[in-house]
Amino acid sequence: MTQEELTTLTVDKSVDARGTSCPGPLLAAKKAIGQIAKGQIMEVLSADEGTRRDIPKWCAKKGFEYLGTVEESGFFKIFLKK
Amino acid sequence: MENKKLCLALFSGSVDKLTAAGVILGGAAAEDMDVEIYVLLQAAFAFKKENAMVNDRVAEITDKKDDFLASLKRLETPHWTEAFKTAKEMTNVKIHICGFAGKVWHGFKLDDFIDLADDICGIGEYMTSAEEADINLFI
Repeated sequence: MTQEELTTLTVDKSVDARGTSCPGPLLAAKKAIGQIAKGQIMEVLSADEGTRRDIPKWCAKKGFEYLGTVEESGFFKIFLKK
Repeated sequence: MENKKLCLALFSGSVDKLTAAGVILGGAAAEDMDVEIYVLLQAAFAFKKENAMVNDRVAEITDKKDDFLASLKRLETPHWTEAFKTAKEMTNVKIHICGFAGKVWHGFKLDDFIDLADDICGIGEYMTSAEEADINLFI
């Protein structure tokens, strides 16, 4: 998805993991993914640079669709579809 | 599909290496791996009930220990016991105390160790787990 599409995306679940370091955001995503249905969209907010690379790899392994990342001031919004 | 298996031989009883082990366990938990941890020699010291929360030894870059511990606090890094507990809640993690290691530190029964420990075992069990694992680590 383009950056413009991502910024206007309606998400079903938002996980704010900005207060944690690796592996906190990944574990927060793992916990939250069970709370949405297949086809729904989740965003993970993280200030951890490593998470930006971890989430796409985790999605590929777990069969979720990584949609893209938007860089905000001091953190990332990482989007995925279950 | 069967979960992948991680076998972790945990030798170190130092906070830096235990914290690293906790981070790796977090990664394993995120991927639903089955994890077998074998608590060997110095790690058994850290797993003793009276030591787990007060032990602040570090194994590497010891002259920067205060900086390291301060950074863990600043980053709100969970104590390694908390990281292990979280991993146990999220995936199948079994923690085995090596019987010999326990005795070295005057730990003779499971109750001498923190509640995270599941049992006391011999090296044969470790060898079997190591043979069956997809990933083997020694920390």
